[in-house]
Amino acid sequence: MRKTIDKALEWVLVFLLSVLVLDVLWQVASRYILNSPSSYTDELAGYLLIWVGLLGAAYVAGKREHLAIDLLLQKSSPERKFKLEIFISVVVILFAITVMIVGGSWLVYTRFYLSVKSAALGMPLGAVYLVLPLSGILIAYFDIDNMYNMVKSNRKN
Amino acid sequence: MEFFEIFVLVFSFIILLVIGVPIAFSIGISGILTMLVSIDMIPALTTFSQRMATGLDSFALLAIPFFILAGNIMNSGGIAIRLIDFARILVGGIPGGVAMVNVLANMLFGAISGSAAASASAIGSIMQPEMKKEGYPDNFSAAVNITSATTGLSIPPSNILIVYSLASGGVSITALFLAGYLPGILTGLGIIITAITMLIYKRSGTKAAMRALGIVTLIAVGIVAAYKGVSFSRANFSAGLNRVLLYLVVAAFAVWAVIKTIRNKEKAKVGTKKFLDAIPSLLMLVIVIGGIVAGFFTATEASAIAVLYALVLSFIYRQIKIKDLPDIFLRSVKTTGVVMLLVATCLGLSWIMAYENIPQNVSEGLLSVTSNPFMILLIINMILLFVGVFMDMTPAVLIFTPIFLPIVTAMGVDPIHFGIIMVLNLSVGLCTPPVGSVLFIGCSVAGLSIDKVIKPLLPMFIAMVIVLLLVTYIPDISLWLPKSLGF
Amino acid sequence: STHSEKTELKLAHGLPTDHPVHKAMMFMAQRCSELSDGQLTIEVYPAEQLGSEQQCVELVQIGSLAITKVSAAVMESFTDAYKVFGLPYIFKSKEHSFKIMDGEIGKDLLLSTEDKWIRGLTYYDAGSRSFYTIDKPIHTPDDLAGLKIRVMRSITAVEMIRALGGSATPISWGELYTALQSGVVDGAENNPPSLYTSRHYEVCKYYSLDEHTTIPDVLVVSKIIWDKLSEQEQEWLQQAADESAVLERKLWAESEKESLEEVQKAGVEVIYPDKAPFIEKVQPLLESYKDNEVIYSYIKRIQAVK
Ligand code: NA
Ligand code: NA
Repeated sequence: MRKTIDKALEWVLVFLLSVLVLDVLWQVASRYILNSPSSYTDELAGYLLIWVGLLGAAYVAGKREHLAIDLLLQKSSPERKFKLEIFISVVVILFAITVMIVGGSWLVYTRFYLSVKSAALGMPLGAVYLVLPLSGILIAYFDIDNMYNMVKSNRKN
Repeated sequence: MEFFEIFVLVFSFIILLVIGVPIAFSIGISGILTMLVSIDMIPALTTFSQRMATGLDSFALLAIPFFILAGNIMNSGGIAIRLIDFARILVGGIPGGVAMVNVLANMLFGAISGSAAASASAIGSIMQPEMKKEGYPDNFSAAVNITSATTGLSIPPSNILIVYSLASGGVSITALFLAGYLPGILTGLGIIITAITMLIYKRSGTKAAMRALGIVTLIAVGIVAAYKGVSFSRANFSAGLNRVLLYLVVAAFAVWAVIKTIRNKEKAKVGTKKFLDAIPSLLMLVIVIGGIVAGFFTATEASAIAVLYALVLSFIYRQIKIKDLPDIFLRSVKTTGVVMLLVATCLGLSWIMAYENIPQNVSEGLLSVTSNPFMILLIINMILLFVGVFMDMTPAVLIFTPIFLPIVTAMGVDPIHFGIIMVLNLSVGLCTPPVGSVLFIGCSVAGLSIDKVIKPLLPMFIAMVIVLLLVTYIPDISLWLPKSLGF
Repeated sequence: STHSEKTELKLAHGLPTDHPVHKAMMFMAQRCSELSDGQLTIEVYPAEQLGSEQQCVELVQIGSLAITKVSAAVMESFTDAYKVFGLPYIFKSKEHSFKIMDGEIGKDLLLSTEDKWIRGLTYYDAGSRSFYTIDKPIHTPDDLAGLKIRVMRSITAVEMIRALGGSATPISWGELYTALQSGVVDGAENNPPSLYTSRHYEVCKYYSLDEHTTIPDVLVVSKIIWDKLSEQEQEWLQQAADESAVLERKLWAESEKESLEEVQKAGVEVIYPDKAPFIEKVQPLLESYKDNEVIYSYIKRIQAVK
């Protein structure tokens, strides 16, 4: 399960970043090729960046590679280190659930309910914000999974 | 009234940080806690998530994944090694030459890739064994690599200057890029001088080191004289004449370099070949900066052009295959994810800080201590140096720009100048123990623990601080270039 | 809330503090406090401190922000009806536009967004938008042919520039100065005070007052927060807003005059083209809204007012 999600997420991210590069290159090219340059590329680029940024952040969270100050962790005994890491995971999960899942879902729901549209593409803004709860769910899932593995290996020792 | 909010914010942030919660989540949690003090639960959570998403919807931020991607492609595509070969012909034969090659290669690669971390890993992994072959101690090589990797942050293009432009509310990116050249080069120079002095001291004792420093002092006096000359010409000659003078200096330097190369025929032959090899790689700088200045594309669009160019070049060099691309893209996404979550949560935090008028309160507090501009700049530098020891660059720029910028602009400091001060200052932090991404990367490339590099790092750290102070109190070092080009 | 309790409303907007609309909102805050004897106060956050216009309207819907000032162009994202302000030459004159906004149609539009959790309080004059170009003066629509003109993120704005014959090019506002300076785009369009405060006049030497669109600013309040106010408080707020709108028209006129003088002093040539060929060119665009019932009924109602 975890492996499948990781793999799928990797492909989605590579795809999104590729589209992002092509979009901005097209913005430059269309100015020189077309008589009337495309008018949506800059809005699309912004939305793609939100997706790449937040989904990428979820992917990095799964790999536990977000920047942190781990002086205390390094100086701790294995026992205290284990407790601290559990605490850290809980804090991360708490943020993912409250802000990204709860806050993000309410944002998405209200955008759809009030039918807010993007300015240039005219697409529903709720679809753009959907990445918030999505990334939140992924972060929470990855951290719960990591925590489960930590507890398991701690029992063994 | 806002005292309680400030307390909640600072207290929770420090606790989470010390425990080891990732910086982005520490910022996020302390931000949302502060928000909950004065805003209802659901609006607060929704507002924070809205700030996170919309904050990333910025055309300026786009350049960041693009320059990271371009850097990664260059790293795998054989572009870095050509830059090292080129740097080697520039300074080969001088005592401490390989150390200088390390610094110059970092300046060139960092300049083009815009990322200190990419630079430290790319150049470090190639140069570390080279320096070992020449008999340099490992920790010395690592210290040179770590400190010089940060010079690329001020030499354009530079992701962190883009972040600053965003945090400052839209200072021109092009002007910032131009302003970064001299301070970045000056830092590189400072590191080279220190490294060579250290080497001479070790090999030939105090006297020789003093003599070397004497020469450096003479050169410094020369530079100050030149600076005085430049200010004189700016005050008394027209902009056109000044531009002619600039071109003359550049041309004289080029002629000097050519003559010096030609004098040694055999070297010249190899040199010319290496130079020709490096031209396509160096062309990237010309295309990126030239394209912006000539109006083919904006600074943001230039970053996508850089990706395209690096890709084409790597395919021509036949060092990247199509099937390598997903991996390179994924590596770039990872770095992007780290930076973007920091940007996102910081924008949530800065929203609540603005809502509670925290920047105004902090600046009032700071101004009540002293109103002397010299002292305020010194205090700000000290705060940033301290912050930089523990915190990475992007969050630091995002958090402190909105707090400090209004104070210094009220004193008449140019926002462009202040951006360079901030970036230089936090660059020092990137390589100061105990925490710093470039420090970590440099040590892991060299296979050393952090405490081993502290001793050789210290003198170079002092050199960087001296350059920082020069840049802080002589605005022309940063502003001369953008001003002479009409910004 | 009860009457003994003091209420503070937060107002955020994107303009600098020397802008006439900011000054008008500061006046509103002062009047609100005076009318209510300090019971109802407004704290103003200028200069995008709490986000861009689009973001602030979303915060107003969410309820973490009480009031914001937003261009009617940005309101298009939230409701179709406001598109009517983005249509070129929809108003016959400045007086005509004031008549519409002060009258029944204007009031209808302000209250039309209540189902979107936003309530309009009043309009602020934002003048008319015209083209400014780097080195090619615009006398007729034909002069626009092939010129890359920067547009805001707005579908009606893109359609308008295409209808007039220009190439609508999206560039973010923050990158526009350097884009003009280096020639990525050939020109842009905005009202005189914006041309002046953005310093684009340093690069663009021709300002052609064709006045193609008259897009007002709208002051909006969160429906969630409005409903929590007592009737008395609602009255105070509405009265302060109305008074500020009167003052704003005076401040805006002054600022427009001063901006035009300043840009001319800086070497900008101001052109007063014949508007008739411009108006003719955009007629098909107005007719293309025939299928949109809401917008077309507003078009007809506005055209019916003398
Ligand atoms: Na750089
Ligand atoms: Na550090």
